[in-house]
Amino acid sequence: MHQIDLPAQTGFDEMLDRDHSIRSHYKPFFDWLNAQTPAMLAKRRQEAELLFHRVGITFSVHGDESGNERLIPFDTIPRIIPAAEWQHLEAGLKQRVAALNAFLHDIYHHQHILKAGKIPAEQVLVNAQYRSAMCGMDLPHNLYAHIAGIDIIRHGDGNYYVLEDNLRVPSGVSYMLENRKMMMRLFPELFEKHAVAPVEHYPSLLLSTLRQSSYADNPTVVVMTPGHFNSAYFEHAFLAQQMGVELVEGRDLFVKDLKVYMRTTAGPKQVDVIYRRLDDLFIDPLVFHPDSSLGVPGLIAAYRAGNVVLANAIGTGVADDKSIYPYVPDMIRFYLDEEPLLLNVPTWQCRNPSELSHVLANLDELVVKEVHGAGGYGMLIGPKATRAEIDHFRDLLKANPANYIAQPTLSLSTCPTFVEEGIAPRHIDLRPFVLSGNTVRIVPGGLARVALQKGSLVVNSSQGGGTKDAWILEA
Amino acid sequence: MHLEIHHETTYRYDTPLSHSVQLLRLTPRRDPDQTTLHWHLEIPGRTDLTIDAYGNEQHVLTLDQPVDEIRIVAQGVVETRAPTPQREAIPALVFRQPTVLTTADEAIKTFARNYQRLVEKHGRQGLMDLMADLLDRMPYTPGQTNAGTTAPESFAQGLGVCQDHAHVFIAICRHLGLPARYISGYLYTENDHHVASHAWVETQTEGAWHAFDVSNACIPDERYVRLAIGLDYLDACPVRGLRRGGGAETMVSHARVRSILHFQPHQPLQPQQQQQQQQQQQQQ
Repeated sequence: MHQIDLPAQTGFDEMLDRDHSIRSHYKPFFDWLNAQTPAMLAKRRQEAELLFHRVGITFSVHGDESGNERLIPFDTIPRIIPAAEWQHLEAGLKQRVAALNAFLHDIYHHQHILKAGKIPAEQVLVNAQYRSAMCGMDLPHNLYAHIAGIDIIRHGDGNYYVLEDNLRVPSGVSYMLENRKMMMRLFPELFEKHAVAPVEHYPSLLLSTLRQSSYADNPTVVVMTPGHFNSAYFEHAFLAQQMGVELVEGRDLFVKDLKVYMRTTAGPKQVDVIYRRLDDLFIDPLVFHPDSSLGVPGLIAAYRAGNVVLANAIGTGVADDKSIYPYVPDMIRFYLDEEPLLLNVPTWQCRNPSELSHVLANLDELVVKEVHGAGGYGMLIGPKATRAEIDHFRDLLKANPANYIAQPTLSLSTCPTFVEEGIAPRHIDLRPFVLSGNTVRIVPGGLARVALQKGSLVVNSSQGGGTKDAWILEA
Repeated sequence: MHLEIHHETTYRYDTPLSHSVQLLRLTPRRDPDQTTLHWHLEIPGRTDLTIDAYGNEQHVLTLDQPVDEIRIVAQGVVETRAPTPQREAIPALVFRQPTVLTTADEAIKTFARNYQRLVEKHGRQGLMDLMADLLDRMPYTPGQTNAGTTAPESFAQGLGVCQDHAHVFIAICRHLGLPARYISGYLYTENDHHVASHAWVETQTEGAWHAFDVSNACIPDERYVRLAIGLDYLDACPVRGLRRGGGAETMVSHARVRSILHFQPHQPLQPQQQQQQQQQQQQQ
């Protein structure tokens, strides 16, 4: 038997129920685990680390003064999700992304949802993420977010909630793929005992989604990266290689006659679809930041002329902005005439004076986030914060209330995880990747992140979180 | 009015330019109060016409053969009428988005605050007072600012040209909660104190767009021809380009606007009058 620290009675643990007995879908794994010696498991973990170093799967971390890239720690205990739960998640994710795409099309065209008074027009149209360059422009299939990464957590009440929608350049899918490969290599016998739904076809689904996004016959697809200094460069190169398409930077592309070409040794080749992994404002110096050297001059003109598809589209950030998040359930009702299948976290919008005063009075219990923040930066976790941190946020909130939202502190579910002392519960989340083409498709799985510090709720890789393999069991 | 326009811009390079892409917003807008009777662009290469999100006609010029000079001539005749309400290409609220060039700093906000009640109460009339005071605060002074000068920078210097005036006025309007947009175009004047290539502002108040020319402290009328609108100079300026190679660049621009009684097609253009020179891309 291994020493497993028991989870808190108040939370939800993915493996152990309230009585600390093993949940049925974890039984085969638990039995296997108990049959392994700690020494063998330690050896496997070392092997994994060595292999990841060799593959070069790294992530550079903000605020690391040495500027070094480092491995994201990988944990060998998988997050296991039963088939029925996944079916529910999958249906909810498809519904949500369909509504978000409909919303994006609407706000860059007729703004029906604003005229109907469902969302204050100012919150959308004066939003820093709203790109006027997209106004009135028609996109193939009216699709904006071809690739969406939706962050899902399970709360102490056992329910799944959507924490955040990522519709700009969501990253992390390479970890989903590499973690699975690693688990199959380290513990092949586990995959004989479990019917784990495969994820390795993600690159081919991604490629077919990208090809479907264009009306061109046999479209040429490229992956566009800001360059090797970007924290997710590994993933850009990885996906290009997996899909068998070119990895390009802005300087490899040029615009002529409102068409986009890449320079190749055989001469210029027209590009039809750009899976772009750099932010809107850097993509065309003639329309956005004039000093960006990462983009392609004239790209937006070619885009507006319909001669190239950008995935994701420009201006998707307005739909995943934290100030817009509270309205997603209303979008689902408005565009699809359906009730949302997935829960939203209750959210206070500090821009509203009554909600602000509630937030200020309860800062020690709430999580406060910057509307445009990402990566777990610029947030306050009330119950874990010091007096000084709370006072600092109180000042920030009063100075610029519209810049913040607040939510109850969620007790993210835990999953047993290898730590220094043995095996202990750590908080986790899940980011499945939703691909929208002719149909909406989701590879069963996602990026499973784990907060490695005891009690920590911040799972972001940029803040020292680790990853796990996520297993969706087949029905 | 019938306004005859001749606008010539020449870029010269020390060493041949290898590649360049330019967005040319040098075609008058199709707006209800101005009709283009004749227009011709002389461009050294193939261009493609596009319409941007603001409804501006935009030619994309790509040069990929080595050149040491680019000469662009826009000329024609536009009939202008008293300003009438504009058709809306995009929602007015979009023009409240701050940009790098038009974000108000504390000094601009403090200045704006003094006019808040006036503007709330008297709308357009309040903005006219604000405009006159703003020109006193930052008199028209060429040569001290450049195309990249932000609203807070020129406001702090207390001077500027039409581009700076427009940016500061826009920053103030947006800070007061009013949509405001940058207009690039031509201005006909009887004297030659002002450059014919010009920039001014349109602000939405009392449910309609109203134009304000801060540099001349006046309300634009039939003497003004709109080329392009946008959030700021970068969105609307006549030429926005990027190049590889070419070494140092010099740019000379002449814009001339004449009033003519009637437009007759094929009428030869008259010798130049009121010729002005711009040494930089900045709108003066």
